[in-house]
Amino acid sequence: MLRRALAAEPWRLVLLVLGAVWALLTVPSVLGGMTWVSLQSPDVAHDVLVVGGTLLLLGWAVVPVLVPGLDDSLDVRRFATTGIAPARLVPGLLLASLLGVPTAFTAMLTLAPVVAWGAPGRGAAQLAAVAMAPVLLVTCVATARVSTGLLARLLGARRSREVALGAALTAVVGLVVVVRQARRLGLEGVLEGVPEVAAVLGWTPLAAGWSAPALLAAGDVAGAVGQMLVAVAGAAGALTAWAVLLRWTLVRPPSRAERARRRRDSLLAARPGTVPGGSRTTAPRPGLVAARAVALRGLRSWTADPRYTSALVAAVALPVVVVLLAATVVDAPAAVVLSMALLMAGTIAWGRHNDTAFDGSAHWLHVVARVPGWADRAGRAGATLVWALPLVVGVGVLGALVSGRPELAPASVGAAVYVLGAGLAVSAVSSATLVYPVPAPGASPYATQVGALGASLVAQLVTSLATAALCLPVTALYAVVLWWEPGLAWAVLVAGLLGGAGLVAAGVAVGGQVYDTRAVRLLARLE
Amino acid sequence: MIALRLRGLVKRFGATTAVAGIDLDIPAGSFYGVVGPNGAGKTTTLSMATGLLLPDAGTVHVHDVDVWRRPRDAAPLLGVLPDGLRLFDRLTGPELISYSGLLRGMDRDVLAARRDDLVTALDLAGAGSTLVKDYSAGMTKKVALACALVHAPRVLVLDEPFEAVDPVSATAIRGILRGFVAAGGTVVLSSHVMALVEQVCDHVAVVGGGRVLAAGSLEEVRAGQDLESRFVALLGGTREQTDLAWLRPSSG
Repeated sequence: MLRRALAAEPWRLVLLVLGAVWALLTVPSVLGGMTWVSLQSPDVAHDVLVVGGTLLLLGWAVVPVLVPGLDDSLDVRRFATTGIAPARLVPGLLLASLLGVPTAFTAMLTLAPVVAWGAPGRGAAQLAAVAMAPVLLVTCVATARVSTGLLARLLGARRSREVALGAALTAVVGLVVVVRQARRLGLEGVLEGVPEVAAVLGWTPLAAGWSAPALLAAGDVAGAVGQMLVAVAGAAGALTAWAVLLRWTLVRPPSRAERARRRRDSLLAARPGTVPGGSRTTAPRPGLVAARAVALRGLRSWTADPRYTSALVAAVALPVVVVLLAATVVDAPAAVVLSMALLMAGTIAWGRHNDTAFDGSAHWLHVVARVPGWADRAGRAGATLVWALPLVVGVGVLGALVSGRPELAPASVGAAVYVLGAGLAVSAVSSATLVYPVPAPGASPYATQVGALGASLVAQLVTSLATAALCLPVTALYAVVLWWEPGLAWAVLVAGLLGGAGLVAAGVAVGGQVYDTRAVRLLARLE
Repeated sequence: MIALRLRGLVKRFGATTAVAGIDLDIPAGSFYGVVGPNGAGKTTTLSMATGLLLPDAGTVHVHDVDVWRRPRDAAPLLGVLPDGLRLFDRLTGPELISYSGLLRGMDRDVLAARRDDLVTALDLAGAGSTLVKDYSAGMTKKVALACALVHAPRVLVLDEPFEAVDPVSATAIRGILRGFVAAGGTVVLSSHVMALVEQVCDHVAVVGGGRVLAAGSLEEVRAGQDLESRFVALLGGTREQTDLAWLRPSSG
C-alpha cells in the first residue's frame, strides 16, 4: 500500500526523502546528547530520559490530532467491508505503520538509551534498554492510533460541540495554571521539581520503559523489573485499546451518529406579527441577504461537521501547545504568552484557505443562484469572525494579564485582530483560486486524500507565505512595543483594528472578483 | 415562444466527447422529456443548459436571455435539480429550502410562507427537524426539488427527478409539475424510464452518443409505435443477446 501511495504521489516521495534526511541529520546530536547523559550519575540520566520519553509519547498522542493528513497510514474503515477479524488486522496495521519516517526516527530515539547506558559497568542497564526499545516504540505508535481514532469518534458524535469547547477551556485553564506556577517558582524552582515528577512518571506507562534501565544502573533490581512490567503492560494496554477501537469502528462506523434534532429554522426565524405574502418577492439588498445566509450556514458547519470541529480544536489547541512548549525553553515567558493570541488568530484564519472545497457540497446552490462573489466571500469570512474575533480578543487580554503586562493588552489585541483579518483576506482569495481535494462531509477529518498532496502543499505554502507577508508590518510594530517602546501599545490597537478591517474588506472584494469569474470552473474541480 | 434554446453545444472531457453538438428548442409551456441510454450526455447537456458546466462551444438562451453571457439575469428564470451533486446536508430540509431562497435574495416573509407551502406539498413535515444527512435518497430528492421551486422560476430543469422517489411522492411531484405547466411554466426533465416520460411529457428528445436523434412532440417522435420500441430502434436496434448459459442456479 505504501508503494501504491508513492506511485500516485511523487510529492510524498520528496517529503519522505526530506524527512529521512532530516532524521539522519539529527542522529549525531541525539548520539552526542546520549553520550553526555552516559557520563552523568544514574539519577540525572534517569530524569533526563524520563522527561524526554514522556514528551516523545505525548507528541505521538497530540501531533497527529493537531495536524490532520500527517498520519499517512491506513484508514481503518477501508477494511470495514472486507470482513477481516480485528484480531488479525491489528498486527498487520501495526506492521504497516512501522514503515514511515516518524516511526523510524522514534525507533532510533527509543534505542538511544542504549548509548546512554554505554559507560563501563552498566551492562545490565544497557541490556534492559535494548529490551525496552521495541516496547516503547509500540506504545508510541499505538497511542497515536488510539488518540486519533478516539477523537474522530468523539467529533463524529452529537456531542462534538461540547467536546471542542471542553478541550479549548481545558487548554486555556491549563495555560493559566502552568504560567502561574512557573512564575511563582522561577526557572530554578521548576528544575528542582523535576526529580520528584520524574520519579512518579517512571512508575506510569508513560515513561516506565525509560526509567527501568536507570533503576538497574542504580542497583534497584526489583524496582527495575517492576517498571519493565509496567512498560510492557502499558504497551499491551495501548494495543488492546487500539484493537477495541478497531472493532468498534468496523462494527459501528462513526459517521452514523445519532440524529440531530432541530426544531426551529435557524436561517429564517419566524417574525410574528407580519403578514406573509407581501407584494415584493425580492428583498431590497439581495446580496446582503445572501451573505447573511452563507454566514449562518457556515456557523452550522462549525458545530455540526466533524471536519470543521476538528479544525476548530486544532486551531485553538495548537497555539496553546506551541506556546507552552516554547515557554519552557525560551527565557521570555511573557513574550511567549503575549504571542498566543497572534498565533491563534493566524491558525484560525489560515485554516480557512481551502474553505470552498471543505464546503463543496453547498457550492452548486451558490452557482445556480449566481450568488455575487463578494456576498459568498463576506459570508464565509463572517462565519469565522463571529466567534474568532471575541476569542482572540479574549485570549489577547488574558495573555497580557497572565504575563503581568496589562499595559500591553491593547497591543496584543490589535496585533491579533490584524493577523485574523490578514489571514481571512488571504483565505478569501485563495479559496477561490488554489482549491485542493479534502475529505468529504461526514468522513473522518483525519483521512488523507490520495492524489492531493502536490496541490495541497503548493496551496498551503503560498497561503502561509502570503499571510506572513501581509502580517509583517503590524507584527513588527508589535515586537517593537513588546521589547522597546510599550508606549505605542494603543497605536498598535488602532493600526490593527483599522488594518484588519481594511484587509478583510479588500480580501472580500478581490476574492469576490476572482470567485465571479471562476465559480463554475470551481464546481467542476470540486466534483 | 421558445423557453430554452440550445445551439451547437459541445463538451469534451479529455479525449472523450460527451456532447457533440446539440441543438434543441424547448417551447414555452411544454412538459419536455429528454431520454437516452446511460452515458448519452443527458446530464452533461442539462448542466450546460443551466449554467453549472461551462460548454466548450455553443449557446444557451432561457426566454431569450443568454445563460453564459448574462448569468445574473438568467438565474432567476431557472429552477435546477442536478443529478449526482451532493446536497449540503448539515441543515434540516426546511432550512435548506430557506437557504436557497435567501441565496437568491428573497424577501423573508414571502420566503417563509413559500417554505411552509413546499414542506406541506412535498410531505416533508415529518422530517422537518432532522438534518438532511439523515434523510433517505427519496427525501433528499424532494428537498432538492423544493429548493429548485422556491423562487418561482419560469423554466424548471430536472435531472432524473423521480429516481429513488416512492410512488406516493412521485404522484405528488407529478401533480405539482402539471400544475406548473398548466400555469404557463416549462418543465424539462431527463429520465431513462420510457413509461414515465410517455405518461407525463408532451414533448420528447431522444439523445444518444452526445447527439439529438429525434425531437418533437410525443406523437411525432413515437411515429405510431410505443416510445420504448421507437427508442430502441433509434439507437440502432436490439443487439444479438449473448447467451449467459452459465447463469443458471444449477450450474454451480
